[in-house]
Order: sequence, then C-alpha cells, then structure tokens
Amino acid sequence: MVTVKINGKEITVADNTLILEAARDAGCEVPTFCYQADLMGLGSCRMCLVEIEGQKKLQPSCITPVLHGMSILTDSSTVTAARAGVLEFLLANHAMDCPVCDKAGECELQDMVYKYGPAKGAHAETKFKFHEKDYVLSPVIIKNSNRCVQCTKCVRVCREVVGVGVLGSVGRGDHQEETSFLKGLLDCDQDGNCIEVCPVGCFMRLPYRYKARQWDLKSADTVCPYCATGCRMVIEERDGVVVRARAQHGVGVNSETLCSRGRFGFDFIGNAERLTTPLVRKDGVLVPSTWEEAVAVIKENLSAFEGSRIGGVASPRLTNEELYLFQKLFREVLGSPNVDSSARWDSSGVEAFIKAAGMNEGGVSVFDCMDSDAVFIIGSQVSEENPVTDYIIRRISSGRRMNLVIASPRAMKLDSSAQTVVRHNPATEGALLKAIILTLNENKLSVSAGINAIKETKLTDCVASSGVSLEVIKRIADGLKNAESISILVGTEFLRFPEGIDGLDLLKDVCRKSLGKKLRILPLLDRCNQRGAWEMGVHPGFGTGYRAIAGRGMGTHAMLEAATRRGLDAMYVAGVDIASMYPDAGHAREALSALKFLVVQDMFLTDTTRLADVVLPSSAFAEKDGAFTNQEGRVQTIARLKNPPGKAKRDGDIIRAIGQSFERSFGPDNASLVFDEIRREAEMYKEVSLVFNNKRNIDNKLDNKEALVKASSALARGFSAWNGGAPSSEETGDYPFTLMTGNHLFHSGALSSNSASLSGLLRAAVVEISNEDADEMGVKSGSLVRVKGMTHESDMKVIVRRGSKKGVAFIAENFADTPVNRFFSRGRSGARVSITRLG
Amino acid sequence: MSGKFDIVGLVRKVIFSDFARGLAITLKYNVSRSITLKYPDDEKWVPYVRFRGAHTLNRDPSGKELCVACELCAKACPTKCITVIPEEDDTGRGIADRVAKVWKVDLVRCMFCGFCEDACPTRAIRLGREYELACTDISSTVRFKDALLKPQPIHEGIAGGVVAKARFEKTEAGIRVVADTGIIKKRAL
Repeated sequence: MVTVKINGKEITVADNTLILEAARDAGCEVPTFCYQADLMGLGSCRMCLVEIEGQKKLQPSCITPVLHGMSILTDSSTVTAARAGVLEFLLANHAMDCPVCDKAGECELQDMVYKYGPAKGAHAETKFKFHEKDYVLSPVIIKNSNRCVQCTKCVRVCREVVGVGVLGSVGRGDHQEETSFLKGLLDCDQDGNCIEVCPVGCFMRLPYRYKARQWDLKSADTVCPYCATGCRMVIEERDGVVVRARAQHGVGVNSETLCSRGRFGFDFIGNAERLTTPLVRKDGVLVPSTWEEAVAVIKENLSAFEGSRIGGVASPRLTNEELYLFQKLFREVLGSPNVDSSARWDSSGVEAFIKAAGMNEGGVSVFDCMDSDAVFIIGSQVSEENPVTDYIIRRISSGRRMNLVIASPRAMKLDSSAQTVVRHNPATEGALLKAIILTLNENKLSVSAGINAIKETKLTDCVASSGVSLEVIKRIADGLKNAESISILVGTEFLRFPEGIDGLDLLKDVCRKSLGKKLRILPLLDRCNQRGAWEMGVHPGFGTGYRAIAGRGMGTHAMLEAATRRGLDAMYVAGVDIASMYPDAGHAREALSALKFLVVQDMFLTDTTRLADVVLPSSAFAEKDGAFTNQEGRVQTIARLKNPPGKAKRDGDIIRAIGQSFERSFGPDNASLVFDEIRREAEMYKEVSLVFNNKRNIDNKLDNKEALVKASSALARGFSAWNGGAPSSEETGDYPFTLMTGNHLFHSGALSSNSASLSGLLRAAVVEISNEDADEMGVKSGSLVRVKGMTHESDMKVIVRRGSKKGVAFIAENFADTPVNRFFSRGRSGARVSITRLG
Repeated sequence: MSGKFDIVGLVRKVIFSDFARGLAITLKYNVSRSITLKYPDDEKWVPYVRFRGAHTLNRDPSGKELCVACELCAKACPTKCITVIPEEDDTGRGIADRVAKVWKVDLVRCMFCGFCEDACPTRAIRLGREYELACTDISSTVRFKDALLKPQPIHEGIAGGVVAKARFEKTEAGIRVVADTGIIKKRAL
C-alpha cells in the first residue's frame, strides 16, 4: 500500500495502482479517451495528463503508477490548459459534422469539449480528410474515419477481448486510421464491440444509422435472449420499434461487450411476419380468430383427453415465471406429467447432465471459475455458442497464469488463449474424459466406487476412440493433478451425445473425492433460460427446484414416439419449433400430424405451427416482464419495453388464460407474484436477489453473487443416470464425415433467422470442414458442395476452418431452408455425411 | 373649500377650451394618415424579416435541402411541437446524406419562440412571415416537410415593415390573401 496526495487529499491505495484510478478513487475527475480498465494501457490520447509535483512535464495518469509520497494535481492551471490544448488538436482535423453524426448527444468528444475544451480553435488550415463518404465495413458496421480521435480502443478490444484482431492502425500521427485490411471485415465476428467502445462516431451501427437521437429513445434494462451467458443489455425503442441494443460499461457479467446476436439480433421483434392474431383450424385451414374462441377450442379439446395423454413442450426462451406456470398448468390443472423444455435433447440425458454438472449445487460464477488454476473446456463450441463467455475467458486468461485446456473437434477462436488444445473425434467426450481419469488413476488413487465402474475400460480403447494422442491426455491429466483448483466448463455436446456424461460425472468424483481438488463445473448452455426451464421443473423427471415428483412423465422424444403409436392425443407447444429442431425431421412431422389436437404458441409461423389446430401469437422478450436464469444460475430480470404487436399476448398471459378456462383460480396474476410463488416452491430461488446491481467497478468483474441460485437439497430421489448405451459404430466407408450441429456465431434457433441484420450476415446454411479435408477435396471457402447423408442431401457453400479435426463437418441447426435435422434419424447417435464438390 | 376664486378656470369654461382641445385631436386624426389597414380587401401587412411566423424549411442555392435531420430543433423546442425522423439518402437530395424523412410541426402547440431557428446548425429552419394561421380544421395546423419546403410567398430579400397591395387568391384550401410585394407603401407603425 502506498500513500499519495491527490489535490491535497491523502489517499492510500494498493501498489502499482494507476494515478488515474487513484484519482478517481479520491473523487477527482480525470477525463480520458483511450483508457479502458480491461484493455492494455496506451496513454495515447493525452487527455488524462496530470501534474506531479517535482516533475517538470505533465504525466499521462492512465499509464503511470503511483509512487509512495507522490503529490498529484489533477486540476491545476497547467493541467486544464493542457487538456484544452489536447482537445484543440483533436478538433483540428475532426470532421465536426455533429448534426449528421449518429453519435451526437452521447459523444465523449462533445462532452469533453463542452466541459474542458477551448472556446475557440486557432487552426485555420484545411482539415485533413481520410475519405469523403462513410464506408461500409460489414453489413452491420459503417465507418467514418474523419471523426476518429486515435484512441485505438477499437483495435484493442478487437484483439484483446474479442480475439479476432481484424482491426489495426494504418498510418501515423493524425493520419493514423483504425481500420481493417482493405476496408472490409472478412473474418470479423460482427459483434460491434468496436462501436460500443468508440468514444466518437467513428464506428457506427449500420442498422441504427440515421434512425434516432439518443434522447428520442425509451430504454429498458434487460437480458439478451440468445445464449445462456446472460449478458445484461439495454434495448432502446423509438415510436414502438426497437432500434438499438447496447451494453453498459461495468454492468453485468459482460460489461461493455456483446456478441453479434445480442447487439444486432433484436430486430426479430419488429419483424413484419410476427403473428398478430390467434389462428384456429377450420375445415383444414388456419383462419384468424379471437382469443375467446381460441381458448374455448383449446378447453373443449383438451378436456376431452386424459391428462396423461396430453404433452407439453415449452421453449427455454420463456421467462422463469412463464415456465413455472406452464408446468403448473400441466401438473396441477391438466393432470399430465409430460412436460419438457427442448426438442433437441433427450430428457434422461438432461437429467444425467444436471447431476454431472452439479447444477443442483447452486450457481457457479464464471469469474470464480476463471480464478481456478486449471480451466478445462469440453463439449462446447464456446466461441460461437457463448461468445461473451469466450470474451471473459480470453480476457481473464490473458491476465493471469492459468492452465486453460480446450477440447473440441472443431477449431475455435479461443484456442489461441489455451495452453493445450485437444482435437478429439466428435461425440467422444466420454472416452476422452475416461482416458484422463484412467491416466490420473495410474498411481492408484484411493479407489472410489466411480473408478471401479470403469475398471474394465482399457485406456488404449479410450485413447483410440477419442482420437487423441496419449501424450496430450497425459499432459491434461498432469495439469489437473498439479492444480489446486479446477474448473470444468461443459457444453451442449454432452446433451447432444449423452454417452459422455458418465465420464464427466466420474471426473467430478475423482477430482473432488480422490484428488481432493476444489472443483467447479459451469454448464455452457445455448438458450437464454435453459437452466431456468429445468429449475422451474419443465422436465418430465423432476419438479420445480429439482424436486422429486411422483410419476415420471414423457420427454419430447417419448411424446413424439407415443404420438406415432397413438399413445398421445394432444400437445401444447410453447415457442418450440419441434418440426425443424427435433433431430429426425420426418419422424417429428409424422408424430405431430398423428396428434388429434395440437396447440402451438409462437411468434412466427413455423413448420410446427403449420401443423397446429390452434396457433396462439406470443411475444418477444422486449414485450414482457420476468426473469431468466443464465448458465451460471444468475437470476436476472428482463423488463418490458413495448407492447406485443396486434392481438398477440404475453406467453404468461396465454398460459394463464388457458389455465383459468379450466380452473378460475389458476394463477398468480402477474410476474412478480409468480416469482414469489417460485421462491416458496423452490428452495434454490428463496433468497435470490432480483435487484439489478448497476454499480460500476474498476476491473469490470461485476459479479453480483446475490443473484446466483442457492444449492437445492430437494433432490431426494437423485437423478437417473444416462443409460442410452454406447455410440453406434457404423460403417463409415460411404460417408467419411461425421456431421456435427449446433449454433453458428450469427445464428441460434428461430429468433436469429427472423432477424434481418443477422440474416444479412449469414443467410443460408454453410457446411464447415477442416483445412485438411478441404485441401484433399480441392475446395475453398465459398465453393459449392453437395452434402449427402443417409436420409437427406443438400447443396450448400463450404467454409474452411483451419485446425479443425479431419473428417468433421458442421452445419448450424437453425436454417429453415437447410434443415440439418433431416440428416439425423432417431435411434442412431450422430449422423454421417459425404461431401462432394460441385462444379 | 378654498376661498380663492379661480378666474382662469372660469375663463376656460366660458370659452370651451377643453372642448376645443379635444376637438383638435379629432381634427388632427381626421387629416392625418390612417393606421388601420384595409385588410384583407385592399392592403396586407408585410412583417419584418425578424418576424416569427409559421415555420419554413430552406434549401441551399443549388436547391438541396438544408435540413440534415439532426433533431436539434425538436430537442430545443420547449413545447415539443416538432417531430423529426431522419433517413439516409445519398442521392444529393440534401446537403448531407442524412435528410429528414419526416419533419413535422404542430403549430397549435408552437409558441413561436424561435428556439428551433437558433438551434439549427444549417439555418434550414426559419420562422417565416406567414401569420394567417386561423383555421376551422385543427388538422391543418400540423405542417409537414413538403409544404414547409415550398418557397415562401415573401422573399427573404424583402426587408418588410411595409404594407402591400392585397388580393384574393382561390386555392383548394380556401381563399387566401396574397400580398403583392410589387406594390408597397411604407407606413410607420
């Protein structure tokens, strides 16, 4: 600790604190452009100059650490004159087109000049111009370099946080331009973090271009509806149209960062194709109807069936309150145990995953995970599925010594931050984990029951099936052994291929019990409220708060299976497009058509709604109140910004209306009362704080632990383990590629397909293969290929990814015109395809 | 009562001096120039350039719209009677690629303070010299960009403060009184 004097006020701060931070702690104002707490210090803008007594020249406070006994002046006449001088020079070549600039009104340069600037500039020379017209960098980013103040925050955030490094500085001095190679963004993540950090109107959102001024906007503090990272963001609307989403510095886990989906994907809300009125099937055609009629039809039809012959699937994008009401409707009103929250994953696999990932043990903060000595990421394409988690991992791992291991068949952006990168065969996470456990067990650990279970398993078999060399496995095992604390970040591959879950469960036991390590497991999920859906009990195997329930119901797989066998009469689907998401398109379609009665509640006309008897128009996240639980177990509220379009209603209101048609007292009536009931029902949520903590802190690690769910002791019966058996090993001759699916960086699920901005970034499905395969086939990124599977074939463009595992093809799962689920068929784990070059 | 005899007062009364003074004023105005205008039949007042009447939007000499839809007028307006919605148009319609998609003023709410004029960075918005704003239909008090961009009936170059010859002009909206700035007379107020 050192003591320094700032403007005559003594303050004690930690060693190596920057003068800037010390001054801000002392309550003295120091203006900056280029300083950002989590970026590399640069000291280029010179706005933060301060006077240090005994030193002749002014010093940039954002890169000068304090020394004991320093006496610093932040507002002496020299300092104020220097600031005014710096601003005068910045304005010398500044375009000064504030009336046209989209940033005007929230521009840091405007504010600074207003506050500190010279009233008049002495520069009479013609201004230097980089270009006459703004140029489009990408479908979402537009640039005007004439406004640049050369702070290079965009370049640093691109390199240090996002990790793509597509922006760089060209030129020197006032001719320095922050731009990309050839003024185009080829490999960009299109996340627009450069826009967010830009203090002036140099980088701008193209979709928001010339739409509004900052003071026209009505805003709501909310949570991103895409992946389960749970990024806090502010959405802003003008005249009932949501025009912008932005993140705030120092707020939420994401601080100022968002990904392309979060920042640009909100425009599905204003899509003209939103359903605005209930539709009821009459004489085989869906015709517009009223809510009264629609609810009456639902009541009449559902009451005709036995409870156990009705099934419900709710989207993991609904709020906790809505999901709670949904399962309450089924369990208490309709008397049906058949509820599930995903069309993609098997419900028993989910149960095993929850147990293995220890989700009932309460929330785990991602920052705590990153404090561990070893971090092991497996089964997740984190850079694409949870881009902001990727930023957090990159930022923290670059700042401290840690052993980061990433295991994935596909290469990803985060690989460059990892100490060890493992390329295993698809769907062999289990084998890889078992190989690691067996290597750890070489020295005969205190034998636990878990290890006995895989006693028969041979290390060589595991190594062979995972396709990873023994050396790499040994290195990972050593890394785990040498670490005091370990964090495992597990992704959705374990849910797609639940065979690997027992390996994860075992590794957890080995690390905790045999090795005595401090172990945290963080699930990385791809739907904003997937964890909330499970914790609300929208699952056939357990109730609210993972409570044991009397009889096990049917999951989505079982429901569809039962429907084809006429064992299920009706289904109520809230916001899930089963027909295009279930990994066997033909079967899903057949099953849904076989139902006697199908109610679908959705924002858009999807393949599933086209099969429905009653279609109910629902609402987007910006149109309702409620709470999401993110992957860490952080419960965060979303706020209503506007009303749903036309006659569309909030999902909670729809579920309530259906419930009340059966039982008048079905409720509670509003989101906050429902949450009170959730607090009573689920012990985990009892003490969760819903207060948005907006306090900014210096290192951006805003870790609002009061919002994390607590451990649940309700788990009386325990979860059933996955017993789906081993992956099928089939002949691979005709189909050399293993098909993987998941989310694309720009797309996840039906929301993003309906966003014009995101569709502008990627409109049609592409197949991604490794560079080795591409070289063998002689294709390049952009070539047209034919992907042929056993059940389906499709033509699409190819994208080559350097460093991916050979023999792995990836197609994102959400494109309506290339439904990847047609390649899959049920009863077979995974799918194999062949890829041939066209033309 | 005072005991003093007011001889001067008596004389004034006898010769009707107050009466004569009053008549003199009448006589003076009888022969002096009239200050009432024969509006609308014959004359119409042309206000000074500084007059703050209904809004107008201007173009630059080459005919491009000066308004860049910066919305500062809307922000400055104390009664919030101006609505601006910008759009991008780089076809040369405006002086910048940002032009107004909607520029709307509600004259019923406007208090003609002229803050919008002061706020305008391009001098696109001016409070013009139109003061005949009485109407029977309230919707006609909301004026849109297309109407505001039309050239003003009285050119900026005319200093104003004069009375012009008036004539009636039939338009679709009704009968308007048009000042013929060719025939003007100076009149002190």
